[in-house]
Amino acid sequence: MTEKTETKDETVATSRRRFLTGSLAAGGAAMAAGLATAGPAAAQGESVITEIQDWNRYLGDGVVSQPYGVPSRYEANVVRRDVEWLTASRESSVSFTPLHELDGIITPNGLCFERHHAGIAEIEPSQHRLMINGLVDTPLVFTMQDLMRFPRENHVYFLECAANSGMEWRGAQLNGCQYTHGMVHCVVYTGVKLKHLLGEAGVKTNAKWILPEGADSAAMTRSIPLEKALDDCLVAFKMNGEALRPEQGYPVRLVVPGWEGNMWVKWLRRLEVGDQPWHQREETSKYTDLLANGKARRFTWVMDVKSVITSPSPQAPIRHGRGRAVISGLAWSGNGKIKRVDVSIDGGRNWTTARLDGPSLDKALHRFYLDIDWDGSELLLQSRAIDEAGFVQPTKNELRAARGENSIYHNNGIQTWYVKADGTVENVEVS
Amino acid sequence: MLKSPSAALLLGAALLVAGPALAAGDAGKGERVYKKCAACHQVGEGAKNRVGPELNDLIGRTAGSVDGFKYSKAMTEAGAGGLVWDETTLDAYLESPRTAIKGTRMAFPGIKEADDRADVIAYLATFSKQAAAPAPAETKTAEATPAPAPTAAVPAADAAVPTHGVFHLGRAATADEIAAWDIDVRPDGVGLPEGRGTAADGEVLFTERCASCHGDFGEGAGRWPVLAGGRDTLKADRPEKTIGSYWPYLSTVYDYVRRAMPFGDARSLSDDEVYAITAYLLYLNDVVTDDSFELSRENFTSVKLPNEENFIADDRSAEPHYAGKVEPCMKDCKAEVKITMRARVLDVTPEAGKENEGTTKVD
Repeated sequence: MTEKTETKDETVATSRRRFLTGSLAAGGAAMAAGLATAGPAAAQGESVITEIQDWNRYLGDGVVSQPYGVPSRYEANVVRRDVEWLTASRESSVSFTPLHELDGIITPNGLCFERHHAGIAEIEPSQHRLMINGLVDTPLVFTMQDLMRFPRENHVYFLECAANSGMEWRGAQLNGCQYTHGMVHCVVYTGVKLKHLLGEAGVKTNAKWILPEGADSAAMTRSIPLEKALDDCLVAFKMNGEALRPEQGYPVRLVVPGWEGNMWVKWLRRLEVGDQPWHQREETSKYTDLLANGKARRFTWVMDVKSVITSPSPQAPIRHGRGRAVISGLAWSGNGKIKRVDVSIDGGRNWTTARLDGPSLDKALHRFYLDIDWDGSELLLQSRAIDEAGFVQPTKNELRAARGENSIYHNNGIQTWYVKADGTVENVEVS
Repeated sequence: MLKSPSAALLLGAALLVAGPALAAGDAGKGERVYKKCAACHQVGEGAKNRVGPELNDLIGRTAGSVDGFKYSKAMTEAGAGGLVWDETTLDAYLESPRTAIKGTRMAFPGIKEADDRADVIAYLATFSKQAAAPAPAETKTAEATPAPAPTAAVPAADAAVPTHGVFHLGRAATADEIAAWDIDVRPDGVGLPEGRGTAADGEVLFTERCASCHGDFGEGAGRWPVLAGGRDTLKADRPEKTIGSYWPYLSTVYDYVRRAMPFGDARSLSDDEVYAITAYLLYLNDVVTDDSFELSRENFTSVKLPNEENFIADDRSAEPHYAGKVEPCMKDCKAEVKITMRARVLDVTPEAGKENEGTTKVD
């Protein structure tokens, strides 16, 4: 009995080792061997079908082999990436969501892009406080436990950095929608309405603005009009059902639906109420949009209507040859829902309305598909979104004509992917 | 290790504080601590000098001796005086850099926990051919303290319920608590603390605390922000947006330096020091021309930045492509389509990008 068990253990260990050191090579060898020794019993067809595979014979890992589950190791390439030359340090930098590998409208927590201004603050929830002060009747301090005793709500919202696609103002530069459009994510938030917290302190009648502040060493601050704060802002402590990730502001962050990501202050520790904006660093020297005439727009909060084809795209070429192909992409708007997405395969000469699929939610990502028969010829793929307010996604040239090339922020121009006959894809711009 | 009296003097005070026995570090944990250093220092294969010198073969290295790195006078002199980096000298330096070597350009505040210092030194030693001498096998003094037992819940009926608001949640903030966190400053001067400082005082502080990233004259090192110059470039092809050329309000400078600078050592400057640094930034930007200029709470709002008038409200919805909300064209929308621009940067695209290399690099 013991002997038998040991033998089996050894076999399992061996097979697992083989599994780990490259099942492709092993599978190929097995197939070759199968063909070479084709005897009367040899089956015709793919060895993955005709031969019993390890996972079909032996036991796999038991429960809790991963107490917190992780993706299959065959998905190891589905990760956030950064562009090292963009920033001086990784503590004040950005990483990008791998949009080309994802589907549906929800971004997994570990893949949500990051933008920190002083690294990831690590805060024990029992040590965290949220203060409300300024033009209120009673300045208050809340613990995390206090916050969780307010009535809770769940909402799906996209969060886009104002600088998403910012490197593309001067023309096609980065080869992959992860880099050109990956500063966006969309999750379901659980939290409490900001208006409940402000109401608890009692907002004075002359109040017009709030100033949220982070607890990290950047002490991030932004001025937000009181009207927005009382409308749909949330103070959120969960994303996709679990606690916020540290890099997304654990234990609590502000949610400012449809508005630029910089305002969604992470590690939220204070809300000041005032009668004027504060003109903080992130709303003067940054997150203002310089125009060609030397003027700069400020308080450009709403994220405009935008879309991008996520597959095919430079990091997700067509590998299957001609025939049926799925064009898939994302659309979103800070003005509300997406009404329609059109797709062009000829660089914008002709358009076909794509199919929106899955939930269509206010200020959330929308998924679209266009199913085509690809004849193997070159394509110039574009997508163009229209939101429920009637705004149509502009071309990049239209944006440049209105703003010049130095705005950095709010580049929502139509993206073009050049699909070549071999299925590879490149970021280009067209006339 | 300290071969001359002058170097001994420089490090003397700090070494005394360092204590008699150094704990053996854990290189694995040290890798995590090292993240604090990585903003400025590279280590490992291919490490180059960045804001700080590269740290390969640090153990056994004479202070201030890496080729091609511009050290402070103080660091060069410490090396000339015989200071060699080893477990002991690094420990003292990392505990409080500016105390150990007065005048060092390293703006880093230091690592408070002895264990963290030991760990990061152990980590750095893994990149040194001459590894640190093995420390006596002592157990670390500060083991992680166990989490406090949860406090007993107050019997629900006995808990006091506040009277404010609708839900009666939270408690009143004290005046001291509000003062500790409410440090924001507005353009009209609301929020400015008592205090003052001259541009000349600011220059000394700036050189010590800011110049390692921002350059001696605010010109910016590497990709760190440029703070001065750039006047009249906003309409140029490559605008340079600085305090003098772009920022609308001086209050933003005071507020931001006070809340978030120096990078990695926030809230370490006194209110007077922030006034002095702000005054020096005005001087670097030619907004004031006399380095004896003193900025204070009293005269603060009299200073205007040149670009204040050039900020306008958000008028995106009036742009031609938005204004009409016109139903877009669907068929034969243009006569011909030509590729006008192709992706210029490839090396940032891992995996799939490698396959594309050579075909897509067109400029």
